[in-house]
Amino acid sequence: MVAHPRDQGDSRAARRLNEPRPAQVEAATGIPAAVGGVAVASVREEWRVADRWWTEEPVRRRYFDLVLETGENVAVFYDLEQERWFRQKA
Amino acid sequence: MSYVELHCHSAYSFLDGASLPEELVVRAAELGYPALALTDHDGVYGSLEFAHAAKAVGLKSITGAEVTLADGSHVTLLVETPRGYANLCRLITAAHAQERLNPRLDPTFLTERNDGLVCLAGCARHGLAVRDPNAAARLARAFGRDRFFVELQRPYSRGDARRNAALRDLAAELGVRTIATGDAHAHHPRRAHLQDVLVAVKHKVPLEACEEERRGNEESVLLAPREAAARFPDDLDAVQATVDLAERLEFDLTQELGYRYPDFSDRADPADIQLARVCDRAFRERYRNGSTALRTRAAERLREELALIAELGLSGFFLLHWEVLELARDVSLEVRGPGSPRHLLPPGRGRGSSVGSIVCFLTGLSHVDPVAAGLALGRFLNRELVAVPDIDLDFPRDIREKLIVAVIEKYGPEHTALVASFSTYHSRGAIRDVGKALGLPPGELERLARLTEGNPRRVAEEIEHLPGAEVKLRSPRWRALGELAAEIGGLPRHLSQHPGGMVISTRPLIELVPVEPAAMEGRRTCQWDKDSCADAGFLKIDLLGLGMLSAVEECVDQIVSLRGETIDLSRIPLNDQAVFAEIQDADTVGLFQIESRAQMQSLLRTRPENLDDLTVQVALVRPGPIQGKAVHPYVERRQRIREDPNYVVPHDHPLLAECLAETLGAIIFQEQVLEVSMALAGFSVGEAEGLRRAMSRKRSADAIESYRERFYAGAAANGVDRAIAELVFSKINGFASFGFPKSHAAAFALLAYQSAWLRHYYPAEFLCALLNAQPMGFYPPASLVRDAQRRGVEVLPPDVNTSAGKCRIEGDAVRVGLGYIKGLGEDAAKAFVAERERAGRFRTVIELAQRSPLDRRALEALVASGACDSFGWPRRQLLWRLGLAPRSTSVGAQGAERQLALPLEPTSEIPELPEQTPWEKMLADYRTTSLSVGVHPLDLLRPHLPAEVVTSLDLADLEDKTPVAIAGLVVARQRPATANGVVFLLLEDEHGQVNLVVPPTVYERYRGLVRGEPLLLARGRFERYERNRNVLVEEFTTLGPLARQAANEAEVVAALPTAHHFGHR
Repeated sequence: MVAHPRDQGDSRAARRLNEPRPAQVEAATGIPAAVGGVAVASVREEWRVADRWWTEEPVRRRYFDLVLETGENVAVFYDLEQERWFRQKA
Repeated sequence: MSYVELHCHSAYSFLDGASLPEELVVRAAELGYPALALTDHDGVYGSLEFAHAAKAVGLKSITGAEVTLADGSHVTLLVETPRGYANLCRLITAAHAQERLNPRLDPTFLTERNDGLVCLAGCARHGLAVRDPNAAARLARAFGRDRFFVELQRPYSRGDARRNAALRDLAAELGVRTIATGDAHAHHPRRAHLQDVLVAVKHKVPLEACEEERRGNEESVLLAPREAAARFPDDLDAVQATVDLAERLEFDLTQELGYRYPDFSDRADPADIQLARVCDRAFRERYRNGSTALRTRAAERLREELALIAELGLSGFFLLHWEVLELARDVSLEVRGPGSPRHLLPPGRGRGSSVGSIVCFLTGLSHVDPVAAGLALGRFLNRELVAVPDIDLDFPRDIREKLIVAVIEKYGPEHTALVASFSTYHSRGAIRDVGKALGLPPGELERLARLTEGNPRRVAEEIEHLPGAEVKLRSPRWRALGELAAEIGGLPRHLSQHPGGMVISTRPLIELVPVEPAAMEGRRTCQWDKDSCADAGFLKIDLLGLGMLSAVEECVDQIVSLRGETIDLSRIPLNDQAVFAEIQDADTVGLFQIESRAQMQSLLRTRPENLDDLTVQVALVRPGPIQGKAVHPYVERRQRIREDPNYVVPHDHPLLAECLAETLGAIIFQEQVLEVSMALAGFSVGEAEGLRRAMSRKRSADAIESYRERFYAGAAANGVDRAIAELVFSKINGFASFGFPKSHAAAFALLAYQSAWLRHYYPAEFLCALLNAQPMGFYPPASLVRDAQRRGVEVLPPDVNTSAGKCRIEGDAVRVGLGYIKGLGEDAAKAFVAERERAGRFRTVIELAQRSPLDRRALEALVASGACDSFGWPRRQLLWRLGLAPRSTSVGAQGAERQLALPLEPTSEIPELPEQTPWEKMLADYRTTSLSVGVHPLDLLRPHLPAEVVTSLDLADLEDKTPVAIAGLVVARQRPATANGVVFLLLEDEHGQVNLVVPPTVYERYRGLVRGEPLLLARGRFERYERNRNVLVEEFTTLGPLARQAANEAEVVAALPTAHHFGHR
């Protein structure tokens, strides 16, 4: 499963390496156009996660696997619970 | 862009689909789909239901299945032609044949038998094209380009892009088209959570532990066509392919499937001639000794009936039933043994067949000579008949088990199968399964499951009544339980077996519906339940096991062998007033159908005088008439007529006077629902039948509503007031289908009468047979024994030297069989009796220990039950001696030989052991045999009871409304769904039984006592209403501690038998 931003997961190393961080994403159409001011060159894939709905901390996210104009590969997700964007290393 | 969903699961994928076929259909129509396919896992369980529902809303239904191949991968098969459907059924049957509940199809079958089928190469996760592209290529060659598509799905999971790219490449390489599918698992996004829960239930783990197996998001639901198409922006051809293919798939499952029951049309003579021949042969035998007048009348009657049957084209139908009964006769010879007097008895009987039909009598379906008894044919057969009559065949249990196998052998395994039934979710199962998936504490779930009233939609409310409800309602898990229990209610959980319905087909059945192994070895179930089988036009023959039939048979058998009196139950007088007198006094313990508390209360007021009255009586105390508010008017009108022969029965409307005449204006029989809607609202036979069906099925509220308006309109056209139409419709709707058809009730009434007749003239033999047919009926064996004792039957305790394995008649008394001794077991009892027959009586307990094949515990149980009392020693001394007895030991390989112990008398002195008290003896009887033929617990308890406690005898003289205290042993407890929470208890004391009425408030206060305590003291008000006597309880006290004290601290409560429980928990 995808780690929850507030989740105290047990895999601390993994969390440190690839912890979701709040991100500045421009997405007027719902699909990211720029991340941290850098324009998106292409959307490689979009996927959705809805899980843990039976808990106090439900997860509902829309993920995007992006290639930025700088050539950097990055994954971002829109958290529908918190209504904000996060980024992770792809 | 248009789109058709060609990959869709319903709840008939069993724990992998969260909507009923009907819900999918309604939603698809709403969303504007022109067509929809149903592709459940390895089955077409819901396909016919789906096809009929779709037809009703103008949606094109496509039949298919997602089939699991040998390696676990999936392909989606869709039916194009009738040949394709037959192939699909054969393929699915083959997939299930290897291992029960683990369907796996050998792909070579698929390459060989795919005419008329279209193959989609499988889903995103388990699809064949994804898992094994080479195997997919082989299938593509077998199906050919027109009938093979590579499936593309977009469930919004990570990896969709890469997978679909590979699949596009594969399609290009194979030269076939791609096709878009949605793999929908629910009709609406709100069921997505339920789908997650079902996956957890299927894997028997909490939600947290099945992340891999769950779908991970809420995207796999039925989408609007436009939305679904939009998921494939780069695959417009794959989207277009759904529309093209859907147009091509013209097969309609609701059309004629080519079913025919074996109707004897393949023989040299026409079926009409064959039936006449069968009847003539039986006629000569049955009427050999009859008077000329009787013979003439009977011959005339037979001619008329045969002509009518020929006209209706039903000769083959009756021949088939006759043939099954003949088969049963062979089976019964085998079961009963050639020497048994039971060979004189017909092996079964038809329920639903008319006791008024001479053809039924001659073919063995009915056991009454209608000519001798002066019975008319009635409406069982008439020229307006729209469907074949509904006939169930009842058999003694031992015969039924073998008969099912014999039928499969006779007609062939490819031509016969049992009818399926689907175990669906009610509230208790919902709480347990959903609660476990949600990870809620098992103890709390169990508490809720025990408390629930049975309606899954009310579980949320019931949670509010749990301890700590406030905290629970804040927890998302508990809230989810309430919501999801409501959603899961009514969904099928797994396939089970209908209690005895069989389908027999001339064309191989496995081309009409897939067949799979049933839980019981050697039996096979088709994938359709009785509703779908009826929709398919299958003739269902019900082979049912009936305990009372076993008892009646055995009773007649005993009478023949003991007294040499042959009893022909088809010729006993049906108007014996002495028998009816007992029935009218509600003296009916042990009788078929009319022995329950509710029946007794009703009998006292209706006082049936003949078989017709009894037919109404049997049908009266059923949920249908109760909810249709028919009981009270009928009972009251019967009383009025008895008091005033000129009383005119009121009818809701004059149009109903004819069809409700025999039931005094009340709707009591199933077919009256049809007749009423035809008479009042001018329904056609088909419409009336449709209404009855709508009411009989699950979740059919919409269907009923559509009939309601038609009913009002039709009634208005007949000049019926709206208010009257509404009243009558509410009665029909209340009745729904929870009643007996008249012919059914008539067959039961006859058996009720026969049981009453046998009990009246042969009470000992009847009790004996009843005890041997347990478990059955309303009363525990202990109460049957007490009741028989009250009517003068002597009952003897089990005895090592005289008891057989079963109960039997000894002189004029009933000797309880060794089989009643707990811990002995049927086989041990048999071996024991065999040893006694081989080497003679047992003279001492030592000899018993040495000669009998029983282990130490069984021997102790024998002594404790009193079966060794005839050795002349107190039970404690016998046990002591038993302890000293040397046992023979086994020697040789696997203990094959027994080395006999030397028959030495034990040398040690027997110490002084206190005699067992009457309490101890009585309790030991109950503990070891669940009944006692000696003193009643209330006999012993009486001197210790408060002075004001009266006996059941005293009640006879009490005034209405007198405050009363009464004590007894609880023998039956009833909490009917139709009684608004009122609980009824039947209390037994040393003189008889008393009926206690426990209002809901009192029940709530004394719930623990009412549900668990065998000995109760009830205080309340005596109620005398006409001939009914009840105690309306205000408070309860347990007599447990008092009894324990009186019994010198013996364990009382645990030894006494537990009451039979009926209705809601």
